[in-house]
Amino acid sequence: MDWIFLAELSVNGALTGLLYSLFAIGLVLVYKSSSVPNLAQGALTMLGAYIVLAFSLSLGLPLWVAIPISIIIMFFVGLGIEKVALRRLAGRPIVMILMMTLGLDIFIRGTTMAFWGGTSRPMDLGVSYDPFFAGPLLLSRIHMIGAGVSVALFIAIVFFFRSRLGIRLRAISDDYMASWSVGISVERGVGLSWALASVVAVITGVIWGEIQSVDQSLSLLLLKGLTVAVLGGLDSLFGAVLAGILLGILENVGAAYLDPLVGGGSRDLVVAIVLILTVMVRPHGLFGRHDIERV
Amino acid sequence: MNSTNETEAAKDPILTLNSIEVLYDSVLLAIKGVSLEVPNGGMVALLGANGAGKSTTLKAISGLLKAERGKVSRGEIRFDGQVIGDSPPQDRVGLGICHVIEGRRVFEHLTPDENLEAAAPISMSRQTLKSEKERIYSYFPRLAERKSAEAGYLSGGEQQMLAIGRALMTQPRLLMLDEPSLGLAPFLVVEIFDIIQKINREQGLSVLLVEQNAVAALKIVSHGYLIENGRVVMHDTAAALKANSDIQEFYLGGGEAKNFHDIKHYRRRKRWLT
Ligand SMILES: Nc1ncnc2c1ncn2[C@@H]1O[C@H](COP(=O)(O)OP(=O)(O)OP(=O)(O)O)[C@@H](O)[C@H]1O
Ligand SMILES: [Mg+2]
Repeated sequence: MDWIFLAELSVNGALTGLLYSLFAIGLVLVYKSSSVPNLAQGALTMLGAYIVLAFSLSLGLPLWVAIPISIIIMFFVGLGIEKVALRRLAGRPIVMILMMTLGLDIFIRGTTMAFWGGTSRPMDLGVSYDPFFAGPLLLSRIHMIGAGVSVALFIAIVFFFRSRLGIRLRAISDDYMASWSVGISVERGVGLSWALASVVAVITGVIWGEIQSVDQSLSLLLLKGLTVAVLGGLDSLFGAVLAGILLGILENVGAAYLDPLVGGGSRDLVVAIVLILTVMVRPHGLFGRHDIERV
Repeated sequence: MNSTNETEAAKDPILTLNSIEVLYDSVLLAIKGVSLEVPNGGMVALLGANGAGKSTTLKAISGLLKAERGKVSRGEIRFDGQVIGDSPPQDRVGLGICHVIEGRRVFEHLTPDENLEAAAPISMSRQTLKSEKERIYSYFPRLAERKSAEAGYLSGGEQQMLAIGRALMTQPRLLMLDEPSLGLAPFLVVEIFDIIQKINREQGLSVLLVEQNAVAALKIVSHGYLIENGRVVMHDTAAALKANSDIQEFYLGGGEAKNFHDIKHYRRRKRWLT
């Protein structure tokens, strides 16, 4: 294999990886406020994509109208999840909140299946499938666009966390009780983080919908997104971005070399190994914070 | 009980607890009829041993009980003459009640500056925010020196100062402090108590101070309540309490060596409540 081929694998891997990061950013937002990996993030991503399609395919609205409407709807879906499903769990063992996200995942997948069935629908963003020539490298256009969106969203959220509202969210993420004690509405903060994660889900759903079209399998993005989030450190946005790039490259390059040997399927193997090794060797991930211990 | 009750009542208390009871988990009666008053602009101490119910009393007032599956099952709490029923903590902070919880729970991953900003009412203008932060830093100059370090890395004394400063950002009229002296060197306790006294004098801030360190507390308050097993068992002026033989035996005898704060230690809390 030559260097150009390796470079092309790496760059395309990194671009795909940034799309995993996009998904993982949604996980990190919820993890920061609720201390659980949101197992429903994949289902929310799929739901976001279906809602966009409902407005564009079924109602015939152009995508630039359908997407913002869906974002607003999903924002309220996120708020609603906190209010209906999570608020009463405050103070319960954390595993119960995790189980609640699993319940939500199954619920959303069941409902979308009932509404839209199993057939796969295209998300036609009108992006050309012709490769983009970057010197000697052939790159996928939609991946480039998605990667750009991912980085832009990351930057926007970083700035948001420096605003007064964002600082309050970070305070909630540090200590619920102390937040209540100074008059911060923890419930609303948690709701906001779910709302933002649901907005991220729409954006993720649109881009991945364009790549692999929209059906139930869209929710399986959860597995790679979770791996990226864990590798990045679960509560680190920057970690999610970097881990996405890393996993994307490993997966793409690894598969190219391993697939001929094992006869396919090594992509998932690479992902599994990354997840298992992270948990064993570096449970806090690349950038996850340890609780500060002063002696 | 003592005749000082009457002189206090004449001063229109900012806080009145009228034989309140607190139940945890609907079964555990932690407070069994506590009545107390904090005069407007006054400083009152609530003393008692481990598990007496001091923190529970403060949580009943601030509304933080709810987060621990506790509730006021009987009696009433009045703030500024108004009954505060079942309102959530943020509404009570809005009224002017702020509770500095036990164990210096600063926002560890935020800087001191951000800790202060997080506590400011969202309606506070940028200018006021800035001048309020300056005011807090003028009380606690040590914090100003470290305002961009992560708060989790501050010393114990600095964290306690930050916790108090953060509470002051909410513009309280009643400040409730839960064992601020816990685990701090005696000179720091003096420094912090001096500042609290200064703010009380200058701004007319009312203070309800929970302490096991009765020696230090009785130096700055005018009145004190002694709570045991969820009941108020004694209430008197600070001078009378200092002279009382029971109090001397249990809380002042043997001086600092007999304080409980050497035995107690706090596990760092995770992000979720247990
Ligand atoms: N969250 C809770 N759930 C159940 N019981 C509780 C809870 N918090 C406190 N208690 C019980 O209520 C009683 C009073 O506790 P509280 O924390 O108010 O005591 P305290 O006077 O503040 O003691 P300390 O000096 O140790 O802080 C204790 O018997 C305690 O076991
Ligand atoms: Mg206590």
